[in-house]
Parts: sequence; C-alpha cells; structure tokens
Amino acid sequence: MKYTAGLDMGSTYIKAVILSEEQSICGKAMAPTGSKLVETSELVLAEAIREAGLVRENIKYIITTGYGRHMVPFRNLQVTDLTASARGSQMLFPTTRTILDIGGQTMKATRVDDKGKVVTFRLNDKCAAGTGAFLEKTARYMGYSTADIGSLLRLSKQKVPISGVCAVFAESEVISHLSEGVPPEDIMYGAISSLTDRSVQLLTRIKAEPTYILIGGILRWDTMAKSITGQLTGTVHVPDGDLPQYVTATGAALLGHLRLHQIEKTAAVTA
Amino acid sequence: MTFIEHCHGQTLDEILYLCREFSEDPAYPTVKKWREAGGKVVGHFQVYFPEEIVHAAGMLPVKVTGAQLEGMGAESHFGSYLCSVIKTSLELSMSKNLELDMFVSHPICDAARNLAAIWGRNFSYKSQILYLPQNPNSNHSIEYLCNEYDRLKQDIESVAGRKVSEDDLRRSIAVYNESRGWMKELYDIKRESPWQIDAEDAYALVAMAGFLPREEHNTLMRIVLPLIHDRSRYAQDKMRVVFEGGFCEQPPIDLIQTIGRSCYLVDDDLLIGLRYILDDVPVTGDPLLQLATAYIKNSSYSPVQHDLRKPKEKMLLQRFRNARADAVILAAAKMCEPGLEEQVAYSKALDEHNIPYFISEFEENQNTFDHISIQLETFVENLIFQ
Repeated sequence: MKYTAGLDMGSTYIKAVILSEEQSICGKAMAPTGSKLVETSELVLAEAIREAGLVRENIKYIITTGYGRHMVPFRNLQVTDLTASARGSQMLFPTTRTILDIGGQTMKATRVDDKGKVVTFRLNDKCAAGTGAFLEKTARYMGYSTADIGSLLRLSKQKVPISGVCAVFAESEVISHLSEGVPPEDIMYGAISSLTDRSVQLLTRIKAEPTYILIGGILRWDTMAKSITGQLTGTVHVPDGDLPQYVTATGAALLGHLRLHQIEKTAAVTA
Repeated sequence: MTFIEHCHGQTLDEILYLCREFSEDPAYPTVKKWREAGGKVVGHFQVYFPEEIVHAAGMLPVKVTGAQLEGMGAESHFGSYLCSVIKTSLELSMSKNLELDMFVSHPICDAARNLAAIWGRNFSYKSQILYLPQNPNSNHSIEYLCNEYDRLKQDIESVAGRKVSEDDLRRSIAVYNESRGWMKELYDIKRESPWQIDAEDAYALVAMAGFLPREEHNTLMRIVLPLIHDRSRYAQDKMRVVFEGGFCEQPPIDLIQTIGRSCYLVDDDLLIGLRYILDDVPVTGDPLLQLATAYIKNSSYSPVQHDLRKPKEKMLLQRFRNARADAVILAAAKMCEPGLEEQVAYSKALDEHNIPYFISEFEENQNTFDHISIQLETFVENLIFQ
C-alpha cells in the first residue's frame, strides 16, 4: 500500500493528511502555524503519520499547499491551495462545482469542472474583513478567545449589524454596541452575518453553481455553516467535524497519488 | 577589501547571499574600490562585448545592465515609450554610482543606437559605438569585425595610456577561457542537478562576472562550484523550464526566485552576453582575429544578432532539448522591441512542436510578483496534473 501526505501550510494553522491509494484518510494532524514553519510542518507531519500507524518511509510523496508551501524543504512538489482544495472537495463530494474556502487570512470562491479542474476563482480583497481574522479580532475586542466563539454563538438570540467592510472600523462598531449593552453573543452573530454577506458576494462574482462545499477553519463553527447555507440555493455540503479544515491538505495528498502514478507510468514506459 | 576577501571564512550559503547582495547593489562597491586604487573602468552596454580587449589594457570592463533605481534624472533624456534599462543605465552614471573612463554601446535596437550619443553629451570621457557585423553570414564579416576590434583597441589604448600587445591579449583570452569553463560548469549543474543551486543564486554568480575583475570571478567560481557539487540537497519533483528573454534588460532577482520556487530553471539566456562565446578562444595566432572568428563562428544567439545559420526559434528548440526541459517561459522586458518581436517566432515554433510555454513581461523595477507567481503555478499544475 502506498501513502502520500498533503501539508496545508495555512496562515493560521498547518494541517497534514495521510492518504492511502484507496483514497482513505489514515491520519491527520494540525497545529498553529507560528513563526517556525519548517519545524511545525515536520511536527504536524510526524503526528499525522503516527496517527496513521505508519513510519516516515511509508510516505512516498509529499505535496505542500497554502501560503507557506514554498517553505518546506522536504516536499516533493507544491501546488496552489486552489488546485488542492478543488481536488480534495471532489474526492469527498464528487458532484462539487463550487468551493467556498474561508481561512484565517483569506476567503476564496472557486468554480470547478466535473474533473476537479479550476474554472474560475476569486479571492477576498487584501483585507481581514472577509476572513477568520475578522472573527478573531471581534472576539478579542470583547474579551473572548477564538476557542470561545462556538459557545458564544450558541447563546445568541438575534444578530446586530456589523458593517464588516473593514476590520478596523468594525472595532468601533463593536465598542459602540457593547456600550449600549448589546450582549457579546449577538455582536458575534452579527460578525458572522457580515462574513456571510461577503462570502455570498464573492460567490456571485464567480457565477457559483451547485453543488457547493464549504471548507476552511471558519466552517468548524456550525453557526457559520448554517448562516451561509441559508443564503444558497441547491445542495450544500459541509464536511463533518473538523474535516472542513483538512479538505485542502486532503486534495494535496490526492494529487500526490496522481503524480506518483504518473511517475511510475513514465518509468515503466522508459524501461 | 576585494570580494574574495569578503568571502573568506564564509559558508556557501553566506557567499551566495553576498553574491545576490553585490549583484543587486547599484553602488558597485567593488568597481569603486578599483577606481580608488587608481584603476580605470570601461562600461559596455548589452549584449555582447569583447571584454578581453579592455582586460588586456589593464582596465576593468563593466557590463552596464541597468539597476533598480529611483529618482530618475535620466528620464528626461529618453522618451517614455523606451525600455527601462536604457534609462537606468544612464542614471547609474549620472548619479555617480558607476563612474567610467570610457563607454561603449552597440546598435542592438533603435533605443541603444542613440545611447552612446546621449551618453557622450553628458560625460567628458570617450563614448562610442562598437559596430558588430549586421550580416555575420558575409564572407568578409570576420575581417570586418577584426578591423572593428582593432579600431576599438586603439581607443582603449588611448584611455589606458598604454599599448596593448598581442601577448597581453592572449593572456586575457586565457583568463576568459577559464571563465567560460566555469560558466559552462555552472550551467551543467543547472541542467544535470538543478536542485543543487537555486535559480537566483546561479544568476547572481554569473552577474558577478559583469563587474568583478575576471581573475577574481574565476577564483570565486573555483571556490564555490565544488561546494555546490558537494551539497546534499533534496531533489524535488519540479517541472524543468527554460527561460528565454533575458538577453538585455534583466528581470529582478525576485522574479527569478519566483520562477525557481515553482520550477527548475535548467537553462536560460539571462546575461547571455557574458557567456556568448561558447568554447575556448585559441591563444595562438592573431588574438583579435581569433576573437572575431569566435564571435562569428562559435557564439550563442540572441534576438539582436541576425544570423541565417542560427534562426532564433531553432536555437531555442535546441536549448530546450539540450536541457531536457518540459516547458519554456517566454518573457520580454516591457517596451523591448527585439524581445517582443521574437516572441512571435518562438511561440509559433513551440506550438508546432507541441511544447508548452508561458508568456510574460517583466521590468527591472518590478516589485510585486504575486500575479506572475500564481499564473506560473497554475501553468505548471495544469501541465503536471493534466
């Protein structure tokens, strides 16, 4: 059995997935990116391999993706996160045509064809307002950590408007709402709604079509997934549990198998 | 302190870092040191120049390749529709970053044809044009070029204040023959084991030859190349590409690095003028005749040399095959007429041979590479996973 690894070197978290040639996820791991990318990527990969019950020698090909993809010296190849997320999404849900990926620093909307090839894509502007960083900042203004966001959202009864155009301006809106006695959970829900509006705008710009898949770290909060799903027509998939965060790494590992297969085929022809 | 003295006690990575720093430094510190020690400097504009003649006169030949400069006084001397390297090259001297004792340019394009005259109006030293043969296929081209080199030699002698003997020339040819050997070895590494050296480091190593005394550059290569061979680096599964379009204006090092992140740059025409003569020039016989013969009979190619024996598209295909490349990056400097014109013939030939290629433009003052990076990666991924 051959195994490949996909390493998603995200701006906020590094994720690793070990994939068998039968396209089964055998191991996965994740850690905050921090400043030591190479060391962290090694640790995360080692943890995923350990979870898969394998040793490093079992991993025949490593593909990196995400913003730090060029930093990993032990990679075989790197691919853009657009390509990786497209392949990962279609592996999990073969009818996928549109991918919405909301990560720590970016929001990406991608339309793919029936073979998982990227047809078109749009990224958010160079601004934190459409990303996980916006939610984290909002939580931090109110004295909460990122880990508290999920439980906070579950308490919300109604959303309050947050413009969401700019994370810096949003700070003054949050302060204003707090001074008026608005509960923090409703402010948080307002931030989620503003993020939803931005993501729907992005999807409109790529002429998004079903089937949709929602991925990225932000989708680990089910309120976020419900909020976006409510705005879309057609089938919307959200991978279970923490899998939304691993889809891109899964796609990278899948591309690793594809590349391995090509190399073996070429070697056979040459021989 | 010479550059080699800077390198003493440094690791390979540190030396390569120094090379990148020096090759991007518009202040030309090593050239300044040369002048402070009483040496004279001859600047020559792109593409090819027989540096051996300047070297034989005891002067320092410097390849003027422009720079990333701000505050362009030279803008007022040229039309806005002209390429950047023409302007920044003049700016280098106007800003006293690069002080010369003589300047030579070649009529490689309409813009460069006027460069020597504009240069001559701004500086008191000699500024002239070297007319390399327009028709290298003529039976008289070698004789013509030999005479042209002799004319150039006389001008160089008058600036140097000394005669250049045939033995002086032969000694210089020998120094440059050694340099040609090192350059070839470096490009062999790029082709055979491209993971051993990053694209931008290989480029910086070649660029150093443009302004270091060639003996010193030979010493640098003698130190560095064995260390590169001995490196234990991980070979990645990157696509092998040839870069075409760096014969005159040079792309920023960051752009070369961007390409190197996605692909192995296994051959290119970057700074081709410094590697133009392909083999050793004989150190026997009439040295000027030997230099002229080498240029006509044993030289590389570029969009500014029109030689019927070397159709550029055929030469590109040969470079592609020799490098066992998977694809070609066809780039041209903005506003570069020869470069942009040649892209038509190149792309037609590549289409005919079903060779994938990526077309792009660059400018030496370019400072954002996100777009080209994502375009190039998409190009690579489409090929690798098709």
